[in-house]
Amino acid sequence: MSAPGARQASGPPADPALPAGAPYGAGAAGDGRASAGAVTATFVRLKLSLLRNGLRQSTGRSAAFLGSVLVALLFGGLGLLGLVALRGHAYAEDVGIALVAVVALGWTFMPMFVGGGDETLDPGRLAMLPLPPRTLLGAELVASAVGTGALFTVLLVSGAAATAAHGPAGTALAVLAVPLVLLVCVTLSRALATANARLLTSRRGRDLAVFSGVVVAFGIQGVNLGLSSLSADESLAPVEPIADVLRWLPPATVIEAVRAAGEGRPGLCAAALAWTLLAWGLLFAWWRRTLTRLLTAPDSSTLQAAPEGAERRAGARGSALAALLPPGRTGIVMLRSLRYSWRDPKAKMGWVTSLGMGLLLPVVFAAQDSGSVYNSCWVSGLFGLLMYNQFGQDYSGFWLVSQTICTPRDALAELRGRALAIAVVSVPCTVVVVSLFCALSGAFGQLPDALGLALALQGAMFGVGAVTSARFPYSIPQDSPMKNVAPGQGATAWFTIVGGACSAAVVASPVIALTIWLNVSDAAAWPVLPVGLGYGLLAAWAGLRVAAPATARRLPEILTAVSRG
Amino acid sequence: MDDGERTAGGDGRPETAAVRVRGLWKQFGEQTAVAGIDLDLPAGRFIGLVGPNGAGKTTTLSMITGLLRPDSGLVEIGGRDVWRDPVGVKSRIGVLPEGLRLFERLTGRELLTYMGRLRGLPAAEVERRCDQLLDVLDLSAAQHKLVVDYSTGMRKKTGLAAALLHNPEVLFLDEPFEGVDPVSAQTIRGVLERYTSSGATVVFSSHVMELVESLCDWVAVLASGRIRAHGPLAEVRGAAPSLQSAFLELVGAQGNPAGQSLDWLGGPR
Repeated sequence: MSAPGARQASGPPADPALPAGAPYGAGAAGDGRASAGAVTATFVRLKLSLLRNGLRQSTGRSAAFLGSVLVALLFGGLGLLGLVALRGHAYAEDVGIALVAVVALGWTFMPMFVGGGDETLDPGRLAMLPLPPRTLLGAELVASAVGTGALFTVLLVSGAAATAAHGPAGTALAVLAVPLVLLVCVTLSRALATANARLLTSRRGRDLAVFSGVVVAFGIQGVNLGLSSLSADESLAPVEPIADVLRWLPPATVIEAVRAAGEGRPGLCAAALAWTLLAWGLLFAWWRRTLTRLLTAPDSSTLQAAPEGAERRAGARGSALAALLPPGRTGIVMLRSLRYSWRDPKAKMGWVTSLGMGLLLPVVFAAQDSGSVYNSCWVSGLFGLLMYNQFGQDYSGFWLVSQTICTPRDALAELRGRALAIAVVSVPCTVVVVSLFCALSGAFGQLPDALGLALALQGAMFGVGAVTSARFPYSIPQDSPMKNVAPGQGATAWFTIVGGACSAAVVASPVIALTIWLNVSDAAAWPVLPVGLGYGLLAAWAGLRVAAPATARRLPEILTAVSRG
Repeated sequence: MDDGERTAGGDGRPETAAVRVRGLWKQFGEQTAVAGIDLDLPAGRFIGLVGPNGAGKTTTLSMITGLLRPDSGLVEIGGRDVWRDPVGVKSRIGVLPEGLRLFERLTGRELLTYMGRLRGLPAAEVERRCDQLLDVLDLSAAQHKLVVDYSTGMRKKTGLAAALLHNPEVLFLDEPFEGVDPVSAQTIRGVLERYTSSGATVVFSSHVMELVESLCDWVAVLASGRIRAHGPLAEVRGAAPSLQSAFLELVGAQGNPAGQSLDWLGGPR
């Protein structure tokens, strides 16, 4: 990335990050140690206030937040109990190690997508404060350890440590392991988020950031692969080779250290711990460097705009495209949605994630020689997710739409346009991906029913997506690359996506049942294709019909929800 | 309906109300933003809604234009209820809100085309109106740039163009001159004056009294969510030397009390 920031940051790292703070900071720097604690306390209070204030704005949201705490407690608690119950099992430590690695993966990517509504980590807001980097880093670390994610991590890591701990040395180290894993996870998360912010503050950089979507696609794919090979084998044995790699990847190394301590191998234990600390140190140094650079680099508003010629050409392409689209509101909405899927970095990220993953899946599954062709339904579902929270993607620009929706009919045209803009790309892609899937796994005969099922599911996702867009909108703040959900709305976002995906599966259940029945009864499965196609269309249409009057009725409420943050 | 009569300019005839507000009320949590507003805004006038920051101007305008649902109260525009007859109201009003975005990843021209088509205007007509608006508002050179790269003044002008595109009867502008450079402000002013001279109604909010005094012929003063005074400019100003002093008196603002506060400011560092 480019020069101005790099030039300023190349000084000795001990320099204060904030030249602006120098004249006033002199007094405070004198008793830097005392003020570090005070700053940390302020950050934690700030984080708590942000969580609380997010809650105060609506009762539905506080319910969703409390729900997410309960879910974290429930799943974390279940994980803890499950791991403790596994104690003594041959692969117990391996499962613990794999779970810790998954948690670390979550910390790596989650804040960049959902749940990143944490303003304490947005360096843009802190640039003018006379805080030396060390104080700022410490305070940010502690502040980010406050929240549901940290709660879940502590529970799960405690479980993993408990399974691996044997003997007094192991137990003592297990107590130490929990905060250590949390520390590495939090540092990892902050370092990556900060590096991304740097990338995302320039217009061109924001487009590059789209690639992180692909990284996530790979990550989720790995987890998916692991889980499917586990369920195929009905034993925990497949975890072992994965854990053999992961046990040397911090922060899972901590669990390895606990195990080694219990087995009376101090050398291995020390090596694992040293490697963890070294990795943490490197991450921390990297974070410090990027943060310092970020705080001293010019902000995106001073950067030059894109050359005009490119936009003009894009405009010409757009009008050629417009001629192909249906007339009326539907067509004009489609055109805007398609333009946005290309020009808006956040919309583009969604598309790249879905497309990247769609192309990746069949290849990975075929390479693994595992799973049925019905796994291609994941792709269909991913595309369907693009229909969720449609109005949140407009952010406060939704008022323009709201001003032109007078009747449920207008709302229907608006939603139909948005659904069609996605379908124009997603349906052909689904057909290609499912065909590829069947071809690669040598089950071409199953193409009709796999495709029918995928289309039914996608239709159901579109329908449910339209309804949740109208009923549970949430804001996707546009001005900060650091967050995709406004403070306090993260839980709503998660529940909408997870709940919506489950509801879509329920909606598509008749087609799922038909597929199973035809396969079990050894009948020809091809009727699933026309039935699935018809059912998908029907489900999408019904969802749009239900969502349209709700949208027209709830315009001010939607605008309020999506303008937040 | 009797639209023709209602929107006619106020020459001698008893004034008809372009906007009728009764008992408008909005609370955010414990805080009352708008505490029962009754107001009749005459048609064909250049109306200023003035008040200090936090007086409830934006909340009031948002509720009048259907962007925010009031807790209670009635709003009628041209005799049509904003909440019961959105079809009748939305096609007759133009809105430029403050603090809300445009579709920033469209170019200025694309945005206007999009809005015109959403309003149901035929493509050729949208094209014609866009050309003229872009030209008059001095945006032609930047029409192929994305709105995200526009300055504040250009955004306000683009928003104004979008609000005027469907030839509304009443135009609502929330702080249209906030953060706008003098050249753009003069352009906006010229367009608004031309628009009202045709008999249309403009309602705009501002806290810059000099601006309101020079533009408006009718004002309503809002403070702490209530209307403190309303009527023709001269009436509201009364005997005060300027609208500014009349306003300060109305909202009960005191000069800075002398005392020890801020005694450290400017002292030894």
